Amino acid sequence: MGNQFPRWTNWIPLQIAIMAIFLVAGVALGVTYYFTPKYTKVGYEPTQPVPFSHKQHVGEVGLDCRYCHSFVEVSGHANVPTNQTCLNCHGPDKGQIKKDSEKLAMVRDADKFNTPIKWAKVHKSPDYVYFNHSVHLNRGVSCQNCHGQINEMEVVRHAEPHSMGWCLDCHRNPENKLRPLDQVTNLTYKPEDLTREAFYGNLAAKGVKVEDMAKLVAGDKSESSPQDLNQLVALAQKKFGSKVTQVEVGRQLKEHWRIAPPETCAACHR
Amino acid sequence: MKRVWQHPEESNTGRRYWRSLGEYAATPEFNEQLGREFDPGIAGETDEQRESSRREFMKIMGGVAALSGLTLTSCRRPLQKIMPFTKHVEWVIPGKPLLYATAMPRPWGASPMVVVTHEGRPTHLQGNPLHPSGAGLDIFAQASILDLYNPERAQKPAYRGKEKGWSHFQKDVSEWIEAWKKDGGEGTGLLLNPGTSPTRAGLLADFAKACPKAKIYEYEPINRANQDAAVKAVLGEDVALLPKFAMADRLFSLDCDFVGLDTLSETATRDFMKRRAPEKKGESMNRLYILENRYTLTGGISDHRKPLAASLIPMAAAVLAEEVGKLTGDASLQQAAATLAAGADAKLREWIAPAAKDLFENKGKSLVLAGLRHSQAVHALVLGINNVLGAFGATLEAVKVESGYKAADATELTADLKGNKINHLIVLAESDPAYDLEDVFTLLKGLEKRPMVTHLTDRPKHTTAFSSWALPAAHYLESWSDVRSADGTYSVVQPMIQPLFDGASVNDILLSLLGRKKFGASVAVVAKDAAPAKPESDAAYEAVKATFAKMAGGWDDEKWNNTLRDGFLAGVIFDRASATFNTSGFSALAGKADKPLAPTKDSMEIVLTPDAKMWDGRYADNAWLQEAPDPVTKLTWDNAAWLSPKTFAALGLKKDGDRLKVTVGGASLNIPALSAPGHAHNSVTIPLGYGQKSFSVVGNERGFNAYSLRSGSASLVLNGAKVEKADGNYALAITQDNYTMEGRAQVREGTKDRFDKNETFAQTEGMDSHIPPAELTLYKGRVGVKSKENPDGFDYENEHQWGMVIDLAKCIGCSACIVACQSENNIPVVGKDQVARGRVMQWIRMDRYFSTSGGVEDRGVADIEELENPEMIHQPVACQQCESAPCETVCPVNATVHTEEGLNAMAYNRCIGTRYCANNCPYTARRFNYFDYNKRNPLIDTTLPLIGKVPNLYAGPLGEKTQNETARLQKNPNVTVRMRGVIEKCTYCVQRLETAKINQRRIGRDDKNNLRVPLDSVKTACQASCPAEAIEFGDLANKKSSVNRWKDSPRNYQVLKYIGTRPRTSYLARIRNINPDPLMPGGDRKVKTGEASLNKA
Repeated sequence: MGNQFPRWTNWIPLQIAIMAIFLVAGVALGVTYYFTPKYTKVGYEPTQPVPFSHKQHVGEVGLDCRYCHSFVEVSGHANVPTNQTCLNCHGPDKGQIKKDSEKLAMVRDADKFNTPIKWAKVHKSPDYVYFNHSVHLNRGVSCQNCHGQINEMEVVRHAEPHSMGWCLDCHRNPENKLRPLDQVTNLTYKPEDLTREAFYGNLAAKGVKVEDMAKLVAGDKSESSPQDLNQLVALAQKKFGSKVTQVEVGRQLKEHWRIAPPETCAACHR
Repeated sequence: MKRVWQHPEESNTGRRYWRSLGEYAATPEFNEQLGREFDPGIAGETDEQRESSRREFMKIMGGVAALSGLTLTSCRRPLQKIMPFTKHVEWVIPGKPLLYATAMPRPWGASPMVVVTHEGRPTHLQGNPLHPSGAGLDIFAQASILDLYNPERAQKPAYRGKEKGWSHFQKDVSEWIEAWKKDGGEGTGLLLNPGTSPTRAGLLADFAKACPKAKIYEYEPINRANQDAAVKAVLGEDVALLPKFAMADRLFSLDCDFVGLDTLSETATRDFMKRRAPEKKGESMNRLYILENRYTLTGGISDHRKPLAASLIPMAAAVLAEEVGKLTGDASLQQAAATLAAGADAKLREWIAPAAKDLFENKGKSLVLAGLRHSQAVHALVLGINNVLGAFGATLEAVKVESGYKAADATELTADLKGNKINHLIVLAESDPAYDLEDVFTLLKGLEKRPMVTHLTDRPKHTTAFSSWALPAAHYLESWSDVRSADGTYSVVQPMIQPLFDGASVNDILLSLLGRKKFGASVAVVAKDAAPAKPESDAAYEAVKATFAKMAGGWDDEKWNNTLRDGFLAGVIFDRASATFNTSGFSALAGKADKPLAPTKDSMEIVLTPDAKMWDGRYADNAWLQEAPDPVTKLTWDNAAWLSPKTFAALGLKKDGDRLKVTVGGASLNIPALSAPGHAHNSVTIPLGYGQKSFSVVGNERGFNAYSLRSGSASLVLNGAKVEKADGNYALAITQDNYTMEGRAQVREGTKDRFDKNETFAQTEGMDSHIPPAELTLYKGRVGVKSKENPDGFDYENEHQWGMVIDLAKCIGCSACIVACQSENNIPVVGKDQVARGRVMQWIRMDRYFSTSGGVEDRGVADIEELENPEMIHQPVACQQCESAPCETVCPVNATVHTEEGLNAMAYNRCIGTRYCANNCPYTARRFNYFDYNKRNPLIDTTLPLIGKVPNLYAGPLGEKTQNETARLQKNPNVTVRMRGVIEKCTYCVQRLETAKINQRRIGRDDKNNLRVPLDSVKTACQASCPAEAIEFGDLANKKSSVNRWKDSPRNYQVLKYIGTRPRTSYLARIRNINPDPLMPGGDRKVKTGEASLNKA
């Protein structure tokens, strides 16, 4: 009997094995990228029934987030406004701005026929996740941290992955995101815009001792201990440079507001 | 798997606690099942079958996995909508619950409550702590929210079975009114339940004025007519009695289940139990003697109990009257009782005499009560005894009540129906007269000229079958009304939601009969897009406001708003009546008693009692109540005849569920029997309320109708019954042996005497005296400071540390907490079949123990004599939140983990259902979702092609998926609705804790010293519902918290402490206040409660 199979077929098993390795690696890579919220959620941008532009209202007109999402600091949900809120400015008997606009027809109809506008949901957490807006906003986490630059979006798009790992990134290191309470709805906030005098001054006014703040500025090495605010500001300048930095702000707020974000399951799942 | 715990030898406390007769006799069947979490026998599979089914499963799943790889289903994200309100609704903040005060009308008064509403949906009820008589809620009030969402409620007015609009009814009403104007309402009858609503009373008085010839009947099967008649004869007209339990040191109950089903006032349980939990030695307690034919909850908490046939209660009342009369030297009392007491059993007298002496020695602080089912003579005797004991004005208050209209009773209704005097009967009663007065209504069928019946009903009932007009009734959470509590406190019943099903309330109907409300305009469905009708246009609302103005002495907006906010009108109660004891009336009534006959083997007595879950049958459509185990028998979904073990054996019955034929007065009933320890011999107790032909899957044909045994509205104690064994056995779903907890000294109790001598006796029982008393908590240390005991550096001192204490001295076992937990935590109902398989889902398990003297293991057989009068004690067990939890270490996916606050948390979305945790839980506190109980209706059958009828759950994907829209409205949005294959359990209402913490952080903001939840401000659902205030919950890290005060109690102990789980829930031992009088018989009851181990120690 002659050889039925040519010689090269001896290499087939090895080739298959090598192929398999590449295949598995490829699938694994694909899944880790394409099957995670980073890919599936970020960029989601459904068309809304009313072409409401956040860019125009927030970025250009300068409305505060809480004008429409009025209970966001009180409730777990950030409420979508009733159309009475829209009509405060656009209403025929109120502000009269663009009161006959085609784009606002649905809002006027909703008011006339008492039928709610069916907005498309952009940010959806699973049913078993009990996220609460109010606790984040009242403790120095900004809208922008989770929803991105809403002030630049014509149509709202999903800006962050909102995956559990992404939540935990911040819960483990809150100092990277915290900002003063009056800056929470400021979507263009940068720590550089703060002044050291005001920032430390506000903390001091709340009863935080200069030496406690100084400890966090200087780290463990306590070469010089500032006696008053001016010395503290000078120390911070020396340490962090002329501009205020996020690390500097975050550390102070975390310590002096006692920010200890929960990492246990029961915090969000119940 | 059967887990094996190495339990230490049981120390001899002289008492033995057992849950079922199987455990008592230590039968091999029970021992096999003990400690098993999942009983393979119940599933009906052998080990071999299980193994092969596992392989089968792997094969199929392999195939499925391979196939699913071939097809990638669509990955498109479904579009979801957000629909905001169009116009803003006052007070509503999406995501935040709103609380409203209201009250549930009850036959004896009201259950004041706070309703939790989420975006307009009421989801949970709890007691109103502001209300003077508001503590918790009883099981009926707690479960009543489910009735609101019953999808099988009556939904549209119907005339002769055909749906008609309200405007049709209005047309008829207008004609009636015209006719009444001419004939004065001749031949018209109104049938209602007695009620306390002043508005209703006013409307009825107006109706009586408008139609002077019409008659108003008031009836319900469980009534206090006998007591009222006795009070009327002895104390005068328009007087009601109000027992003051807080003032009573010594109580004697003649078959009066006052903490259970013979409710006398809203505060009875709270006030009575408050006096039974001494904080330290030497503190005074009340003492309760009770005579009853069956175990009731009141019997369970009593200090001295003797089973006595209900037919002999009149005799016992007379003996007590005689004995008290002798001590006080009151001749008329002795005389009145003499004939009735003659021939009383010497043993009974021996038992009553020392009790009477005890009552007499505490004159002015003692109280005697009689069960509502007993005759007027018994109630008269009790009034006489109370009179000479100086109870009036001290422990018993007479208050002035007036109704304003005259009502006839059921006897008169029967006579009028028989005499053909009624041609139109308008039934507005909540009870179902064609069911509980069955033979009276059967009369109607035979009549030549049948009267027309108009029936206002919450669900199709027996009476509906007789009625021409069947009108949908509004739930009390949907309508305006008002009530007065037993003490006269005035509350307004305010609607929480527009009627879901187009219903009308009793007040609405009365108003329309008076021509003051027009149906079809405001109650009828408003146009789809129109705004809801303004409450101002509602006639019932105006009527309630008018009553309020009268009550408050003039209209006052501020008072009205405060009343709605607080749930009661401050300062308005019944006036005290200046009642004088009418001796001649008393003697006449007391002498009227029939000679009681002791029941014998051939002529037994039947005692019909309200059911602990169905009451008189009106709650039959409530699945929570159907599934809640009876507090005494632990029976679900059915009723059965209770017999003493001795009678049970004498009748030749072998096991629970064996059928029995009961014949009395020509009627007979075939019913399964239950052997009930502590029951009187030759006496049969049958709870009422079952055996209804309902149109719903929940209530239809559950149990057996005991009303059929009596005729008319006759007494609930029936004599001369013939009871014999019948063929067959009926499968009962009894939860007592489900989730059995194994181990030593789980319930602990002692006598007051023992407590006074050795305050901390409970902490040294079992193995506990061998455990070092050191502070054993794992939760020590400060944030950031890593130490050996706190390696992660958690901030235990600045975070909350949750803990719970349950006081067994106060817990009566009523099971309201079970239903409260079900309502708060979205716990599904699983149906009778699943309960019988040991799959009941309720997170709280109310263990009921009987206790007898120890040593039965040596004998090997049950001692029937000993079962005559064991003690009963209840212990609620839910997850104990062990600091060192055995469940957590075995979870392969970390779905159950510990939080820094000491909770044993469950991440349901992470659970893969291995059930290792349940298997490893020594408290058996975990429940497994064997099926998708929330999505698939467990109560129905599905017909499959080729196979035929199978229970819906077992039909797999072919089964009916009932996505019950209305029932979903009740769900708490803050708790996950669990799916199949997930373990669930108590987490101390973690949703409430998180909400409270978040709320505090919202308030505290940047103030780091203001982040702790205010002291004792969070309550768990079970705690808020407990009518006895037996549960305390709070922050252990706060030294001032109430829970810490309870933890410091000398009675505090942990269940199964010796296995080192360090549970966060602990218990306070029960104390029984035994009469030290050597003449007081009590047998082992008196001596043995823990005395032996005291002597040893």
